[in-house]
Amino acid sequence: MSSHGVPRASGPKPTAQGREKELQRIQEYRSLVATVNREIHQRYYTKELLGMTTRLLELNPEYYTIWNYRRLLLRSFFEGAIPSTSNNKNDSTEHGTVQQYITDDLAFLLPLLRKFPKCYWIWNYRLWLLAEAARLLPSPVVYQLWQKELGLVGKMLTLDSRNFHGWGYRRQVVSALEELSVAMGSASASMTEHEFVYTTKMIESNLSNFSAWHRRSKLIPRLLSERNASHAERREFLEKELELVQRALWADPDSKDQSLWFYHQYLISNFKPSCSPQADAIIPDLPDADKLAYLQAQIEDLLEMLDGAETCKWIYQRLLELSLMSKSLNDQWPVASSDLEIWINKLLELDPLRKGRWEDLRKQIFPW
Amino acid sequence: MSLVSGPGRAQVAGGNLPNELQLAVEKHVKYIQSLDTRKDELEYWLTEHLRLNGVYWGLTALHLLGHPDALPRHETVEFVLSCQHDNGGFGPAPGHDPHMLYTVSAVQILVTVDALDELEKRGKTGREGVGRYIAQLQDRDDGSFAGDEWGETDTRFLFGALNALSLMRLLSYIDVTKAVAYVQACANFDGGYGVSPGAESHAGQIFVCVGALAIADRLDLVDKDRLGSWLSERQLNNGGLNGRPEKLEDVCYSWWVMSSLAMIGKLGWIDKDKLSKFILQCQDPELGGMADRPGDAVDVFHTVFGIAGLSLIGYPGLKPVDPIYCMPLEVVNRAVGR
Repeated sequence: MSSHGVPRASGPKPTAQGREKELQRIQEYRSLVATVNREIHQRYYTKELLGMTTRLLELNPEYYTIWNYRRLLLRSFFEGAIPSTSNNKNDSTEHGTVQQYITDDLAFLLPLLRKFPKCYWIWNYRLWLLAEAARLLPSPVVYQLWQKELGLVGKMLTLDSRNFHGWGYRRQVVSALEELSVAMGSASASMTEHEFVYTTKMIESNLSNFSAWHRRSKLIPRLLSERNASHAERREFLEKELELVQRALWADPDSKDQSLWFYHQYLISNFKPSCSPQADAIIPDLPDADKLAYLQAQIEDLLEMLDGAETCKWIYQRLLELSLMSKSLNDQWPVASSDLEIWINKLLELDPLRKGRWEDLRKQIFPW
Repeated sequence: MSLVSGPGRAQVAGGNLPNELQLAVEKHVKYIQSLDTRKDELEYWLTEHLRLNGVYWGLTALHLLGHPDALPRHETVEFVLSCQHDNGGFGPAPGHDPHMLYTVSAVQILVTVDALDELEKRGKTGREGVGRYIAQLQDRDDGSFAGDEWGETDTRFLFGALNALSLMRLLSYIDVTKAVAYVQACANFDGGYGVSPGAESHAGQIFVCVGALAIADRLDLVDKDRLGSWLSERQLNNGGLNGRPEKLEDVCYSWWVMSSLAMIGKLGWIDKDKLSKFILQCQDPELGGMADRPGDAVDVFHTVFGIAGLSLIGYPGLKPVDPIYCMPLEVVNRAVGR
């Protein structure tokens, strides 16, 4: 598709021989496409045709219609292995055949995913294969397949820790494993704790991994509700998270890294008059007086951090944000208005790209 | 319309840049016109699955450049109609399966060249058939949309459905309230939206979610200050925009970030002059076309989003673009009856 990051092929113009070769490759490709199309339309659902779709998809995994053809082929093979009269999910010979088809195809996709980790169609097709497994095979077998996927997606995210296909796939794997555990009668089906530990691990290896911080923000409310956390435990939890991110910010307050600042924004959302989205709240019923106290503590901490990091625009930005939140709770500024003005001027000086935003903020704070 | 990259290359940053960069309008027109003559390159055939999108990208760029007739209208309409299936949906080229993505492009092209009546007369189905194809892809329980019969859901498809149906004035075919609720379930603390509930905010996904809310007339649901802040932080010191924190700049995000800012009334929160310069550095001033960033090969996808970005900034000489539909503003006004 579009050529993201593709440098122009420079160099001499193609020779006559080179052009000849290109035309030959085009002819071979188009002839393979024509054969596959013809045989699909004539419903020649054979192993040979499956092999041809393999060759075509290795050449061009974006050709989604061919992935659809492959689904039709496999469906027909499954029907051949499990006669429609059989309703027995426990017949091992029938399963053996279907399971073999599915595991072979999952293996075929691995090198393609490594080569094209951002191709939507490959990820979709893989999910379809696993959904077919769930439809046709006994739960313990399906569970094992999904468990292997958890290992796979872990490896993929080690190679590219920001691939959002990878993170999305991980969420699907986890929810499939949880559903299967429930179906198989397990008492502790939830993987929230496991996933929370995973985000900690990913963050420890790279503080700038916003994908991991984001995932953490979505896991926390679930984690606390599954732990049946009391109000006091929730407060303790939030304070620990604030400490974690503040420690990282203190280590390099002048850092240009946005990830930590955005995660900090998530945590302080709890001190807004109402946290949005509401589902993300860590302490859903925090009294206003406590919110004000937390905000004050945050402001003091940032003022201290400012000493020696006077060129970090994020500190001024956050100080103004915290002040506005505090004002919206009790209609009073937590700091002198001269401070607010100094901070806005600092932002205009340090961050001229977003001048319009800082001017709007000035109008919001000083409407007269 | 070929999706082959090159032959041109965007100017290399730090090279000999003229002080006043100009948009090479005539070169871009020629570049787009020449795309379908490149059948002797394997890449032309390997990108056939994007052909109809390519026509939409090229055609929209030409309209914004003020050359709406640079592609032959009759052949354009014929090609679009040749991609339709009996169920009303469109594939990217004859012989490819129908899918939401190409059905939306087909509708956008037909509306742009004012040819919905030809669909009515000569299509496999008329516009109502196209509307029904789109409507049956909605999950009536959670409001989401699948891309095709195999069921993958993504907020891109939800936006596509609202986009195409509103252009054909058939929004009543779907449950808009549930679609809006689904978009809301994709909202994150940073004001942004992801591909599905729980997914990280991403500028492309924000464009589709905010666009869907704009079409549904529910922009009141957006946390505009928070989202505007996040979007404005996408601008980097070189003037370009990225799609997520700690990622590289890319011309296509000029569109996704900027159109979202425009929809929530915060376009003034980034530096338009610096962005305009960055986009102009991404063009090949001799062979035409734009790339993702200076130094890379051009393609029609980055060309349209670069030009649409410049139009939204108000670059002189360009036709105004609609921030929701990425189509000429006057075309959208006519279609939806604004």
